[in-house]
Amino acid sequence: MTARVPHRSVGLGTEPDLDGSVLDLRTYNPLVKVLGPIAAMVVAITSRDLLTPALFAAFALALLLGGGRLAARTLGGVLLGVTILVALMAVSFGMWTDPSQVDHTHALLRLGPLTFWSGALETGLATGLRVAAVVLLALLSGLTTHGADLVRSMIAQLRVPYRIGYAGLAALRFVPRFAQELDTIRSAHRVRGLSGGRGPVSVVRRHTGYAIPLLAGGIRHADRVSLSMESRGFGAYPSRTERRHLPFRLRDWALLASLLAGAPLVPLLAHHLTGGTP
Amino acid sequence: MIPSSATTSPAPAMKSSNAGRMETSVRVAYPNSVRHPLLSFAGVSVRHEVPRHDDENVVHYGHPSPDEVSFEVRPGEAVLLLGPSGCGKSTLTLTSNGLIPNVMTAEVTGTVRAAGRPVADHPVPTFAGDVAMVFQDPDAQVVMATVLDEVCFGPENLRLPAGEVLVRAEDALRTVGLWQRRDDDPGRLSGGGRQRLAIACALALRAPLLVLDEPTANLDPVGVEEVHALLRRIVATGERGVLLVEHNLDTAVELVDRVVVLDDRGRLALDGPVRQILTDHADHLLRLGVWLPQATLAALRLRRAGVDLKPLPLTPTELGAALDRCPELPAPSAATDQLSPAGGAQVAVEVSRLTVRRGRVPVLHDIDLVVTAGELVALVGPNGAGKTTLAQAIAGVTRPPRGTVRVAGVDPARIDSRTLAGLVGFVFQNPEHQFVTGRVDDELAHGLRIRKVAEDEVAVRVDDVLGRFGLLELRDRHPFLLSGGQKRRLSVATAIICRPQVLVLDEPTFGQDRQRAAELLNLLGDLHRAGTTVVLVTHDMPLVAEYASRVVAVVDGRVVADASPAELFTDAALLARVGLRPPPVARATGTLVRHTPWRAVTRLAELPSGTTVGAA
Repeated sequence: MTARVPHRSVGLGTEPDLDGSVLDLRTYNPLVKVLGPIAAMVVAITSRDLLTPALFAAFALALLLGGGRLAARTLGGVLLGVTILVALMAVSFGMWTDPSQVDHTHALLRLGPLTFWSGALETGLATGLRVAAVVLLALLSGLTTHGADLVRSMIAQLRVPYRIGYAGLAALRFVPRFAQELDTIRSAHRVRGLSGGRGPVSVVRRHTGYAIPLLAGGIRHADRVSLSMESRGFGAYPSRTERRHLPFRLRDWALLASLLAGAPLVPLLAHHLTGGTP
Repeated sequence: MIPSSATTSPAPAMKSSNAGRMETSVRVAYPNSVRHPLLSFAGVSVRHEVPRHDDENVVHYGHPSPDEVSFEVRPGEAVLLLGPSGCGKSTLTLTSNGLIPNVMTAEVTGTVRAAGRPVADHPVPTFAGDVAMVFQDPDAQVVMATVLDEVCFGPENLRLPAGEVLVRAEDALRTVGLWQRRDDDPGRLSGGGRQRLAIACALALRAPLLVLDEPTANLDPVGVEEVHALLRRIVATGERGVLLVEHNLDTAVELVDRVVVLDDRGRLALDGPVRQILTDHADHLLRLGVWLPQATLAALRLRRAGVDLKPLPLTPTELGAALDRCPELPAPSAATDQLSPAGGAQVAVEVSRLTVRRGRVPVLHDIDLVVTAGELVALVGPNGAGKTTLAQAIAGVTRPPRGTVRVAGVDPARIDSRTLAGLVGFVFQNPEHQFVTGRVDDELAHGLRIRKVAEDEVAVRVDDVLGRFGLLELRDRHPFLLSGGQKRRLSVATAIICRPQVLVLDEPTFGQDRQRAAELLNLLGDLHRAGTTVVLVTHDMPLVAEYASRVVAVVDGRVVADASPAELFTDAALLARVGLRPPPVARATGTLVRHTPWRAVTRLAELPSGTTVGAA
């Protein structure tokens, strides 16, 4: 290929220094950052009010701001993206809300036969906030972890077989490649005059047309990568040297414990703040 | 040559200082290869499964290629494996650590031994310390997210202690000149950089044998030079045996000590010192369909014209020196000049003030270009210069801004893609991307049918094109099951069957060997002579010199040179500015002291020859 494959590396571009300050999220074990927030995600998703997901989103954002050491551009992107996400979901999910559930609330907007109720907006906003909370909690690991480090700690601490871990890492590199390849196939098929035709049938036919070259290319690429890996001794022994040791330290236990213990406390806090009314 | 025992391992003191986990890896890290050849083939035949659609339950095997091949690679020796395309060179390299048959299924008879062990009886990864492989596609050899991690990957798999892994990684990265870039994502390296990284990964394994399968086939000229310079340094140390498959012969012959030649049926034809085999058996090699260095081809052509250069030159430098030793030379033949368009011919492509941005970054700046009908224009330049973007804008594959491009009389920005595709054919780098049906003949008929051509005419035109492109017997095959060269021919055939006025091709010879490339260019030459305007993006300077009527060099999104190949390749200052190297013939004639008119000769076709036999 002449075109350079654009590389969006997974997580951080370089391996972070693990001996940094306790206030630096990047120094924590990747497993804590990936597994710790799961409890919070579950609680946030199952919540029904506005405040609980908002609190989770705020906590996650505060952690990212305080300990993420993010570049200004990334940070701006996160803030803007989350805001747009919440606004979009509040409006669109609001539209889908069954009006009979909310027609006792305040009418915000009337467009012909359609009425947008404040109750509907509230439902939509709650959905938006829940999704935003989950996204931000996932970004706690996503933006502060190096992909290879996650694999390393899975192998070291979770005893995941290294063959699976590294195969997964290799597969992650396929993603941007696939995206670019699909793009090329799409324009190649357009050149062959396949762009015409609207409606679901031709859309489906068109996409099956993309699938064959994409799969053929993908399988061939995967084959080649595996030839290269095996030639370099991958799988020669039951274990392999991990040059970089990812410790599980006191700070990791502390973060994990506070994330797990904090999750069920947030709804209580929300309940307390609203004085018991939902 | 230094025996590998002296050089395969660092001081033994390192071993004791890294006690503990070392025991298990000692065998792999410090192979006992001294007593054995590094690699030996004894009567090796490989038969691949052949796809057949008649009975899905029976596995068919094709003819063996390679067929009963026996030879050895000894410590410190650099061997070039030659043969016509399809003779099984790559297949043979894949058996050298057991990838065939242990990972890729094929029927292998005979014995391949690496470091004395039969490869079929041991898993592939256990040979990592004995045979290090470098493949053609640099993208398909990257696993990790940083350059350093990538190089450490192999030694880590061999369970070397972390300290030793780092020592080897640093050593390998410094050798290939990438140590400064150790924290970068491998994807950020250039093609040549990524292939040097793949070589570093091989070096870090400290295997006494390096096997390279077409390591420069996917690279631009700058990348090819980087990799060849690196290989030259590696071979010169004598620390490693090398088995090389390479189609850039002009440089490769300087790198190796010995050549092994397979014939078209995959049998061993010749084996011996590089100079002796290539000069004493040049005619034999040509008959076998083996490509020779351009300097040698030039000398053979001159011999037919009565100029006998002895000994036969292998490199441009030798050719230049040999020509200068001749007291007299016939005048270079100016005949069979590339078709230049007649005066006042129609304009086929007109690009005016074309600027293309990708995101915020401009890829093309203010391009102006006029291509007259009947030209064969080569777009050249380093990777990432914007050649493909320009070609795609010309063909309307990506819509150019309105009013910036006129091609075949229309503005691609104002016309629907189906009509446009009938006027301008575009051939993508990977032929598979363009296949949309399940049969070769349907693939050709597709373009006609969507243009509502009557079925009986479709049949006639499909048969005609199948015949011209040598695809008649393959008409009921699935396009994906064709060989690489056949796929490429089919993709060009699908583009021309609608009789476009302009044909645009993006690196049509990419990843193909010389023979396939020349085949394709002959085909394009025919189309060109029949009046089709051809625009092609390419890195292949010898082909540009032989076939193009005009070269447009693009660097950093700007046209920096626009000239005939002869002008371009004799202007050293311009070439240097564009980052191109002249083709071997031009390099040889450029150094001539005596025969002034010969200094303008840049291609084989200009050399006098007794007969009319062409370059290919």
